[in-house]
Amino acid sequence: MKCLKCSFTLAAAGFLMVTSARAGDVKVVANNSVAVSSISADDLIGVFLMTKSSLGGGHVEPVVEQGGPAHEGFLKDYIHKTAQALQNYYRSQLLAGNASMPKILASDAEVVEYVAKTKGAIGYVAAGASAAGVKTLEVK
Amino acid sequence: MQAKTLSLAVALSMAPGLLRAQFEFKLDDRDVQIHSFASEGFALTNQNNYLTMNTTSGAFFTDFGFNVTSNVTDKLRVGAQVYDRDIGHLQEWHPDLDWAAVDYRLADWFGIRAGKVKTALGLYNQTQDQEFVQTWALMPQAVYPLDLRSRTLTHTGLDIYGHVGLHRAGSFGYTVYAGTRPNDTRDGLYYGWASMGYPNNAFTGKMAGVDLRWTPPVTGLMLGGSYAPINDKYHFTDMVNGPVPVAGTLNSTTMWIASAYGEYSKGKWRFDAEYRRDYSKYSQVDPDPGQTEPWWYSDKGWFASAVYQLSRQIEIGAYHSRYYFDVHSFPDPSTHYIRDSVVTMHWSVNRFTSVKVEGHFMDGTGDPWASHSFYDADNSQGLKPTTNMLVLRVGYSL
Repeated sequence: MKCLKCSFTLAAAGFLMVTSARAGDVKVVANNSVAVSSISADDLIGVFLMTKSSLGGGHVEPVVEQGGPAHEGFLKDYIHKTAQALQNYYRSQLLAGNASMPKILASDAEVVEYVAKTKGAIGYVAAGASAAGVKTLEVK
Repeated sequence: MQAKTLSLAVALSMAPGLLRAQFEFKLDDRDVQIHSFASEGFALTNQNNYLTMNTTSGAFFTDFGFNVTSNVTDKLRVGAQVYDRDIGHLQEWHPDLDWAAVDYRLADWFGIRAGKVKTALGLYNQTQDQEFVQTWALMPQAVYPLDLRSRTLTHTGLDIYGHVGLHRAGSFGYTVYAGTRPNDTRDGLYYGWASMGYPNNAFTGKMAGVDLRWTPPVTGLMLGGSYAPINDKYHFTDMVNGPVPVAGTLNSTTMWIASAYGEYSKGKWRFDAEYRRDYSKYSQVDPDPGQTEPWWYSDKGWFASAVYQLSRQIEIGAYHSRYYFDVHSFPDPSTHYIRDSVVTMHWSVNRFTSVKVEGHFMDGTGDPWASHSFYDADNSQGLKPTTNMLVLRVGYSL
């Protein structure tokens, strides 16, 4: 019985470690004009699905990575869509006349550079990537 | 067939050009985005010609579109799209201004869109032409018929839309709209009626409606509903009943479309379903048979689908759709219906190109007056009760 309890405890601890490690792989970065220091997971989904265009009273716009580990991790942890499904979503919104295509960039460095110079921009990069010139938003 | 071959050659030769046609540039420090899409399809049936094409011999069909969009300010966006297609006798390379609109988004919960706007109605009305975002080579024709596409696709008028958070209850999006409907003289209705001796001369129509989409706090689930009171007025010529052709009119007195729909995705699975009801009551004036009595019908259609992502590039799926014409006049389900069971494979070759292989197994051919998939004019030997069809489709999008 003790062994069973130990196994459950170890399994639960392992699950939590895996989950937190996955969520910690990505950080959300924003232009310094964005007037919040944290963002709820629901609002983050809204920004990246373009149903939410303002935060803290200011305009915001999503910046998306074309692919890579940060992109995969961000979609899995927060958006709950595959990369293909998100791309199709953006295209369908654009071609139905409901939205513009968000800025899509190739690397963490490009995302940080663009977010730093673009008012209202919100993006995501790998947790270990440099975030010079941008601020990191806590996701609640 | 030579014309079809030529259109295929032109479309394929345009593809590389289309690929290069996507770009973005700055105008007065604002991004202007240009996107394009195109697809080439091939349909082959064992019997019965389908969607005005000569599918028993094998028929190609093509469509493409160009889109220009720009955010003028953070709240103001303008855009337009041109679309053209060649599907049997449908549209036949007559380009159309698909939509052109000015969009002012005052807040997340309140925006206004004016111009020629794609109508928010059901799960896929706004995106039914976007072959590359759909799993299917052909959308479920019970709900999204290619031959009657323009009847509900757009309106010229005004939309009010928004998205509202409901905290623990999720969120919902709404669209309320009103406007006039387009007159597509190259759709299935014109083609079907003309082939039966009642050519349409003019059409005017209006529509208003509401579409609500609720995203509950269940990851991957979305539920929605649409309702649209609409109005039709046709001027036609009766070339059948009298010794000489005479003019008649058909005015709707009560007419609406209602839809209930939902989608759910979890892991590698995605499920969609939609039920559509279309009620129409007309007053008809045709001097030849002396008809002035009201005339009405009610269609219904639905589909349910499941898709599984086999790998990053390949998904497989199946749907079943059913269409019933005039359920009040023909309550016997053994007549005037089309049932379609479909299996498909969708291969995303790269970010811009996809290939689809699809099998359709159809039972029933609907009704000649429905202008829906099967036409007497294309099947002079008489319609057979079942149809099997292979569809191949290659799509490009940027």
